[in-house]
Amino acid sequence: MRFDIRYRTTFTYDGLVRESQNELRACPATDDRQQLIGYRVMTNPSSRVSSSVDYWGTRVDAFGIRAPHLSLEVVAEAAVETRQAPMVTTAPRLDALTDEAFVDSHWEYLQPSAHTHWGEAVSAAASRQRDYLGTDVVSLVLALHRLAGASITYTPGSTYIGVDVEAVLDEGEGVCQDFAHLAVALCRSVEIPARYVSGYFFAADDATGVDADTDMVDVQTHAWFEAAIPGFGWLALDPTNQREVGLRHVKIGHGRDYDDVPPLRGTVAGTAVHALDASVEIRRVGSIGPHWQIAQQQQQ
Amino acid sequence: MMLSRHAESLFWLGRYLERAEYSTRMLDVTYHSLLESAAWESERAWRDLLQVLRSESGFDKTGSPATSEHVNRFVMIDRANSDSVSACIERARENARSVRELIPTELWQSLNSFYLALNQRDLAVDLAEQPYDLYEMVKQRCQTVSGVLSDTMARDDGWRFVTIGRHLERAQVMCRLLAIRYQNLGDVSFHQWLAALKSASAAEAFRKAYRGSQDPAEVIEFLLLSPVFPRSVFFSLRHAEAELDILGAQFGRVTRPQRLLGRIRAGLEFAEIEELLHDDLRLHLVEVESDIRWVAESVALEYFRNSHEFAPFVPTGPAPVGTKGR
Amino acid sequence: MTEGLFAGYDHDAFFDEVFTRDGEIRPHYRALVARLGLFSADELSRRERLRDAAFRTQGITFTVYGEGEGVERTFPMDLIPRIIPADEWAEVERGLVQRVDALNRFLDDLYVGEQAIIHDGIVPKWMVLSSDGFEREATGLSVPHSSRCVVAGIDLVRDVDGVYRVLEDNLRNPSGISYVLENRAAMTRVLSLAFKDHRVRSVDHYGAMLLGALQHVAPPAAGDDPTVVVLTPGVYNSAYFEHAFLARQMGVELVEGRDLVVDDHIVSMRTTHGLRRVDVIYRRIDDAFLDPVVFRPDSQLGVPGLMAAARAGNVTIANAAGNGVADDKAIYAFVPDIIRYYTGEEPILESVPTYLLDDPDHRAEVLDRLGDLVVKPVAESGGYGMLIGPAATEAEIDEFRGKLEADPRGYIAQEVVSLSRHPTLIDDHLEGRHIDLRPFVISGEKIEVVPGGLTRVALRRGSLVVNSSQGGGSKDTWVLAPERDPRRPGDRSEGADRERVEGDPRETAQLPVVRADDADAGEEPSP
Repeated sequence: MRFDIRYRTTFTYDGLVRESQNELRACPATDDRQQLIGYRVMTNPSSRVSSSVDYWGTRVDAFGIRAPHLSLEVVAEAAVETRQAPMVTTAPRLDALTDEAFVDSHWEYLQPSAHTHWGEAVSAAASRQRDYLGTDVVSLVLALHRLAGASITYTPGSTYIGVDVEAVLDEGEGVCQDFAHLAVALCRSVEIPARYVSGYFFAADDATGVDADTDMVDVQTHAWFEAAIPGFGWLALDPTNQREVGLRHVKIGHGRDYDDVPPLRGTVAGTAVHALDASVEIRRVGSIGPHWQIAQQQQQ
Repeated sequence: MMLSRHAESLFWLGRYLERAEYSTRMLDVTYHSLLESAAWESERAWRDLLQVLRSESGFDKTGSPATSEHVNRFVMIDRANSDSVSACIERARENARSVRELIPTELWQSLNSFYLALNQRDLAVDLAEQPYDLYEMVKQRCQTVSGVLSDTMARDDGWRFVTIGRHLERAQVMCRLLAIRYQNLGDVSFHQWLAALKSASAAEAFRKAYRGSQDPAEVIEFLLLSPVFPRSVFFSLRHAEAELDILGAQFGRVTRPQRLLGRIRAGLEFAEIEELLHDDLRLHLVEVESDIRWVAESVALEYFRNSHEFAPFVPTGPAPVGTKGR
Repeated sequence: MTEGLFAGYDHDAFFDEVFTRDGEIRPHYRALVARLGLFSADELSRRERLRDAAFRTQGITFTVYGEGEGVERTFPMDLIPRIIPADEWAEVERGLVQRVDALNRFLDDLYVGEQAIIHDGIVPKWMVLSSDGFEREATGLSVPHSSRCVVAGIDLVRDVDGVYRVLEDNLRNPSGISYVLENRAAMTRVLSLAFKDHRVRSVDHYGAMLLGALQHVAPPAAGDDPTVVVLTPGVYNSAYFEHAFLARQMGVELVEGRDLVVDDHIVSMRTTHGLRRVDVIYRRIDDAFLDPVVFRPDSQLGVPGLMAAARAGNVTIANAAGNGVADDKAIYAFVPDIIRYYTGEEPILESVPTYLLDDPDHRAEVLDRLGDLVVKPVAESGGYGMLIGPAATEAEIDEFRGKLEADPRGYIAQEVVSLSRHPTLIDDHLEGRHIDLRPFVISGEKIEVVPGGLTRVALRRGSLVVNSSQGGGSKDTWVLAPERDPRRPGDRSEGADRERVEGDPRETAQLPVVRADDADAGEEPSP
């Protein structure tokens, strides 16, 4: 499925600010599920954008505006083609998770991190699922995915970055990154490697994930998670609206948690932000299947 | 060429030193000239002093009456007064410390020991019991620092910024002093003009130049226009200008502070004192003072502007994630 | 020889730098002991006064702010120098060069390479990933010529047999070099005659050496005369004096973060005459504070946009970000293997036997023997947070048992090394005190070692902790020039030697071989 995505964030300040320095992570990744066709970043006031790829494989666009300004607009436009994720065809048992090579290569995704630091409640809930389900890893991941979805009610604006997962579980409310962090923490607490994913989601409504009946939606960036399945790879699930990650999901990047893939971060000298306006416009356009296949062939 | 931050520190080092010294001088002169005066005269004199130091509104916030005790305390040590003498010395020392590598060790030591000496004393007790000792100590220490400064500091850009700071500060306060004395000309006896001379330690130099004159006009001429007396407005401006010229030469153009200051200096240089007295001198002095303030601003813009971007950095993000579609 | 100053000198069971076990004076100390033998107690106290005067007139006092406001202190330097003979030093020097070369390659492999050492199973992946010093933000950030450790301070000790062993590596912001130069400057005044008896290799070219190395790592775009600055956290930092000292020695600007600004990914300093481009930043602030966009967002000490500028190839940050992974004390245990892996050679310098605690068997063994071992937190240095088993109380040992069990990756255990001892002036006589040595290794066009380094001495009787933060002092360290082959490149004695050939030998023999530059204020070598 082909999408044109327009990410746009505008900061408006109370007074003149200077020396804004920022990093943007908004570029769709290219992997076995999606192919980036085009991408560009513009800022107003204009700036020289310098791109690199970070430790996690995510494209980072760095830019700075030294001159005094009253507002900053950041626009990233991407064209991307998605395809169906491969089916999980293996059924590894839990003891495959303790394989030394598997643990070593997924070490980072097994540790608690700033936003996934779990405690008793998370760990107990995950263990109950494990004890109940038996030895199939995929079933356990799916169960934890459902558990994350069932534990929180989607409430826009209910949390801010920095709330730990135990508190979110306790409150029972959250937004998509809370669902993702909780799912990640649940998995890691029973030694399933899991990572946080930042991305875009084409849907009429984030909470239900229902497809839109139009070809254009106005949303926000989205978050989900991926769990490592021994012998298969990463299984991507969207706990917020309880579905597998599919054609309408566009991944930006992944990391241990939100802090490794924040869409935009930076500093500015001067007053605090007065207003922040952020939007993501996603347009579904006619599939250009052949293009995608050519790109695939070229890669091979 | 030097770091903007260093230049700014040196500029303020100069200003604070000067400010501490003249504030003390004025307290000293006022205190002693009032020993034999009536109460109403006393209050007027203390209010004038506060006005010259631009501390009147700050002082009024304390709600205290303008008596010797309260004004002395406010100008000398009050924590609420960011321009108090002890605050000026503390800030001069802070500025010196941040350019510790650029100034002679002896200069740092003289300023640091001044600061330490001031902190070892109970200034409130000193003020109450024997203010004269304290005035003397501060004046002497200030002069020691000035002496060390001019004896040990290389005549480089750093020196220039200290000098510009001192001279602009000095010229400004002298303008205010003259404006306030002149404003009250009617009921000002020559005895008070003498006090004005004394607070600029100009009484002797004036007597030498004007041979026992008792004419206020000549006092004004001396303090405003003397090309030889180092505390006259004209003298201070000309010295600041000379240093600005050398700094500006590195740009290969005439800088804005040079233009502004040149204009003020020329206005004074070619003025006739009769003309000045004929017009509204008070208003003129107020204007000159505010023009000098503009010079200081433009020095900051020209040379420290970069360092004025020092507002703290605040995170711009995070941008919202995953709130619901609309 | 056990008369005068040395009367009652106790050799104990340690390795003594001056005396053999039989009480003989080692050959390279004979001239010094003879010279000291001429000193009466009065003479010695006169020289102590001379030393203090030398420190004062050079301004080598440092002001301690905070409590008591502006207390001037001098750094305790012992009058008796430590002497290292030429052949012994040559071996140490080779070992240091080899070690730093391997560590530079290791860091490059981790951050811009294939992580081959992990794939080849030499260093476990998780050991690297779990290190606090491993900065993911430094991934892909290359340093010209791979000189990631432009300045390394490698702490060496000598064990009971006199064998040099590496105690720890300092690859982030090693400090203390200012003392090396200051001590030498003071000693040339206080013991000038003793210098005439020896051919001591000079250290005063350090500034030029460091500047050369920093310019060498400038981005290619910087041209022939790159602009170098020293970046300090500011006057309140305990090592500020060293930062200022180094800037002065190199003749470069000492800046704070707020003096720098990034525009279009180019770093400049703010000057009275506009922005001036900066090519190399010798930073003395920690990684976490370098750039609030990338690291700690609350840092006001760093420069926003600095990392992106470095990534764009417009500025070099030295030492490189992320070096902490290689001086992690758990990684230390792998350094001999790291050396073998990258150089194909056997390590020249010995290590201290080290136990990692993640292995349950090792951990159990260590917990059993806590009273015999030294336990160190992996990411600390300067002697903080350590347990010295033989000197610890039961309660302290119990406390550490809890810490180790809770965080096995956070600690290592090492066998106790009986540090060598050196006669040290205590009141009016000499007593043996434990010492170590921190040589400074510079990676520029080639890897070079400043002759000697900072000898730290534990002034408390019996103490094994030499860190100045823990009550240590220092000694001037004399590396002797080789007797037969003085024409080593970079050896300053070469010039003196040529003079000796060409000039009147009677005159040149009177010249001290060393001339140390005037040094300024000092600081405690920061932990």
